[in-house]
Amino acid sequence: MAEPRSPAPVPPNPVGLPSEGSVVVEMDPVEYTLRKRLPRKLPKRRNDVYVNMKTDFKAQLARCQKLLDGGGTGGHREICIHGLGLAINRAINIALQLQASSQWALQIAANTSTVELVDDLEPEDPDEAGEPITRTRNNSAIHIKVFYPDPQ
Amino acid sequence: MSGAKNRMRNKKMRDQPGNVTYSSPGWRNGGDTPAGRTGEAQHVKGHGLPHQGGGWVRGHQSGGSVYPQELPKYITSSYFARARAAEVKAMLKAVNKRTGSCHTFGALPKHMRRRAMSHNTKRLPTRLREGAQRMLEKSLLTGKKKEESKAKSRKARRRHGNLLLEFNRRQRKNMWLETHIWHAKRFHMLKKWGYCLGDRPTFKCYRACYRAMSSHCLLQDLSYYCCVELQGPEEELLSALSRLTSKDAGPTFAAVQCLSGRRQGSVVLYGSDQYPAQPLGPVLFLWRPRCEGSTDRQLWIWGHPTLKQDLLSELRAVCQCSEAVLPVPVHVPVPEPTPAGAAEAAAIPPKGPAQKQASSRKRKRAEQDSDGLPAKKIFGDGTRSPTCPVTWKSALTGIVINDLTMEIVRYRLIGPLSHSVLTEALCPATDCDVEAKNRQSCFWWPEHSKQEQNMALHREQTDVFQLLKGVYSSTEIPGGSVLGLTVDDPRLTLPRMRCKAEPDLQQAIGVDEEKRRALTLQGVPEHCCQSALWDRNVRDNATDNKITEKELNRMRSELLVPGSCLKPTPPQGRVPVLLVHQPGKQLGQEMPSWGAGWDLLLPKGWGMPFWVPLVYRGVRVAGLQMSAKHSQHKGAPHFPHDYPDCIAGARFQDEQQAELMNKFTRRPPGKRTNYIKHGCLAPFRCPWQQLVEEWVEIVKETGEGSDAQTGVETDGVPPRRFSVLRSRKVMRQLSVWCKPSSSKGQRLQRAPQPASLCPATAASLWASHGHSLVWARFSLLAKGRPELHAMVCVPTDEDLRLLSKEPRCMGPQEPLHVDHFRKRVKSARKGKKKKGGKAKGASEEQVVGSDGVAEKPDSTSDPSQRPTEQPSSVPALTQNQEVVSTPSRTSDGDTDATPASVAPSAPAPAPATEERLVLGLWPEPLPSVTSHCSRVTLGWVTQGDFSLAAGCGEALGLVSLTGLLQALLRQPPEQRGLLLLRNPSSLQYRFAKVTIEA
Repeated sequence: MAEPRSPAPVPPNPVGLPSEGSVVVEMDPVEYTLRKRLPRKLPKRRNDVYVNMKTDFKAQLARCQKLLDGGGTGGHREICIHGLGLAINRAINIALQLQASSQWALQIAANTSTVELVDDLEPEDPDEAGEPITRTRNNSAIHIKVFYPDPQ
Repeated sequence: MSGAKNRMRNKKMRDQPGNVTYSSPGWRNGGDTPAGRTGEAQHVKGHGLPHQGGGWVRGHQSGGSVYPQELPKYITSSYFARARAAEVKAMLKAVNKRTGSCHTFGALPKHMRRRAMSHNTKRLPTRLREGAQRMLEKSLLTGKKKEESKAKSRKARRRHGNLLLEFNRRQRKNMWLETHIWHAKRFHMLKKWGYCLGDRPTFKCYRACYRAMSSHCLLQDLSYYCCVELQGPEEELLSALSRLTSKDAGPTFAAVQCLSGRRQGSVVLYGSDQYPAQPLGPVLFLWRPRCEGSTDRQLWIWGHPTLKQDLLSELRAVCQCSEAVLPVPVHVPVPEPTPAGAAEAAAIPPKGPAQKQASSRKRKRAEQDSDGLPAKKIFGDGTRSPTCPVTWKSALTGIVINDLTMEIVRYRLIGPLSHSVLTEALCPATDCDVEAKNRQSCFWWPEHSKQEQNMALHREQTDVFQLLKGVYSSTEIPGGSVLGLTVDDPRLTLPRMRCKAEPDLQQAIGVDEEKRRALTLQGVPEHCCQSALWDRNVRDNATDNKITEKELNRMRSELLVPGSCLKPTPPQGRVPVLLVHQPGKQLGQEMPSWGAGWDLLLPKGWGMPFWVPLVYRGVRVAGLQMSAKHSQHKGAPHFPHDYPDCIAGARFQDEQQAELMNKFTRRPPGKRTNYIKHGCLAPFRCPWQQLVEEWVEIVKETGEGSDAQTGVETDGVPPRRFSVLRSRKVMRQLSVWCKPSSSKGQRLQRAPQPASLCPATAASLWASHGHSLVWARFSLLAKGRPELHAMVCVPTDEDLRLLSKEPRCMGPQEPLHVDHFRKRVKSARKGKKKKGGKAKGASEEQVVGSDGVAEKPDSTSDPSQRPTEQPSSVPALTQNQEVVSTPSRTSDGDTDATPASVAPSAPAPAPATEERLVLGLWPEPLPSVTSHCSRVTLGWVTQGDFSLAAGCGEALGLVSLTGLLQALLRQPPEQRGLLLLRNPSSLQYRFAKVTIEA
């Protein structure tokens, strides 16, 4: 993922902010620092896998495989692989690799969605520049269900 | 056996007159019966009888001339008797008095002794009973005083009043928190900073605590933090406080968000107008939201107890509050905005009659309390004496400073689910029933809820609080948000079993999605940050009227259905609280907002009623150890450990040094680490000042070639005290410079860099911040676990080449140093033994002192010793010249041979240090710290451990700014930011990546 915080100039375009925010943004954009908040997290089941770009690809693949095979406790019939933004590619990759390694016994059902992300813009000189701005932007996400089809 | 016999004999001789002796040979046949002794006495003759001449000789005489021939012909009986009167008297006395053991039963043979004879004399034979009885009485008489204090039965001691007295006595020196007894049963307690604080639980839970922090919730009692309240006109306060802070180091007290009262801010304070020198320490601050029609503002500053005295004096200086108000009339002079608190606050300055009455009644009760039962008041403050003034006023500026230490309880919940714990444990206050409202009440809530505005506000706050149920992680809330609330007594809704609070999907469905979104985007609206907790009267009222545990249990037992909820809530069961969000990790790239959570502020006295319900929601409780780990994982400096430039930090370093030294000397000498051999100069305390000065010297020398101007400029400045760099601008620049050119962040940077790293920019930086240390994070590339005071060193070009060739390599090794002090320590010890009262020792030591030089050839001839090493490990008083020449060579690139030919003759340290020599430690005047080892030292680690969060060894430490820039300048851009770490007790260097987070 991108760097959470950089002294980069921010394009003044508050999406989800009503009224007062838009006035403030007209000021010198260099005076703000960008700080990204974490994406909203939903309660996680045991068979949910959130894919990221920091962990090694092999490790994530092995983790999914282990969930399906089940280490002694009996594996899950299905797992859900979630990827956000840059990690979509990797999520798809993992799902396809799983399918290939199972000799196509696994099936795949993909869903896409849009996730709202929140950015904080903090004024460099907080005493004069005024309120920090919060704005939202959207990012794509994918949710892939990898499952064994019912044996009928 | 003969020893025992001698002792017995001495005892017998005690009662004899001075002229009586026993001669040992004669004694042998006598035996130890009294008869034998009297027989002996017959041989004994007194002298000094005039008419007897010298004929009588005392005692047995060996040889034949035992009794001379001239015996007197006659004896005058009266003379004779008079002369022996003393002897006879002594004899009679000895006969009558029991001798042998002074205990009667000592006279008994062993087989006749019985258990507990001294207790029950009937167990003795009859002939001895009388004496034993007498002795028993006597011992009872003498031991009476001692036994009386002990005599209280356990039951009596455990009686409530006595127990409280005892508790008060025990916390006279170190104050207890309200949760002390709970903690003392479960924690290793430490006496620190005037408090008794839990360090870590007695059970194993290090990893579990980490897991709680990162996935559930960890609870800490932070009530020992000191709160200082400032009241006064806003402009006055801001102008006074602005002298303590600097915008250069980040947002100050005047930050718009914080000033409105919506956010809690944090700031590092400095001595008035002293920035960047004289830092005091970091504090948290919270403004009370503005009240309508009033310019007076209220501000709470929370600081560490070690910081408090400095903070108070500094605040009093800048606010010109010299007028101390004595603690007795503490209720009177404080111009509270109004007790009711909320929006209407200072709009109606005269209080309503009801309130007046309520407050006066309360005051009366308070006085009664203080007069009648002082023992029951276990609240107070460990950091000051009870007679110290806690309030200071200023007539000039109108500012009032109030010391609120121990007035407010502060609990910290860390972890993503801490809001779920709060929403489960706390339940917004229920309204009072109608008839209760119409009545006068001495409790604060019924009065408070009479006003419609207050209730409207309360409903809004409740709504916001309920919204938290729809939030899945504490990190979704904007960092530092504040929410005021009034809650019911949480004991009333205590679950019967301990459970684990989880975010509930069912509950979340009921939450309005739009409102939740507004909350996560904009935070809590300003008016909802108001709380009655700000109001002293309300706080005191809530504290005084707390339902006791006993009363609560009685009410529960009277319920019709056992175990059902107590309804309606008793009128005194409402507590004003403040919830303050703690932003987690904010700087840096990894793990953003890790360790976020909520702080819960309560009026004093309500500590335990909230603590237990929180614990029942499945939180894990941790102590000081975990709060250090929390800040380590967050990558934030921890006060006072990591603030060596603050007074409190320096004090902490002293303590730490003493503690480590003590631990070191407790080991047997053979098992101690020889730090000299490891090339570690300061294993217990980091000489920051020396480090900074040396680096400035180095730069001055090397800089003369390229940037003569800057070098000369710094010349004129007298030696300054080191400081820790906190200027955000410089930090940000450094953080960019520390990244290698291939780093991801660099690539994604859209804007061109403000200034790239080049000798010119670096020179300008070290001209302005030469004496600065920089706070940095190190993460090890491969294995290894950095420890406290590990050295941060600059890798040579060769090391870097090695690393790029073999990315998983271990890193270089430090060659073993030679301990030149070893011989001296040993001979000094020998000399001490030999001395034994002779004056020889001094001359010997001198010989030893000169030996230090003489012994050098030996060490170089040592086969295990590299010749290059030798001068660096020799104590050098002329080290400065050496330092100067050393780095100039390092910059050329041949570090390996660097310290080789320099300083061939270094004088041994003065013999004055001889006294404090400890084997394995360098004596006091340290040689050059930078060039002591084969790799140049940049700084030291102040916290280091294996990081469970990062999965590798991680350390936090301070490095010299000048040194860091020099090191970075010489590194190739793709390998920038690689340094070496070496533990004090190891020779292995390990590669680490440095990051500066800004």
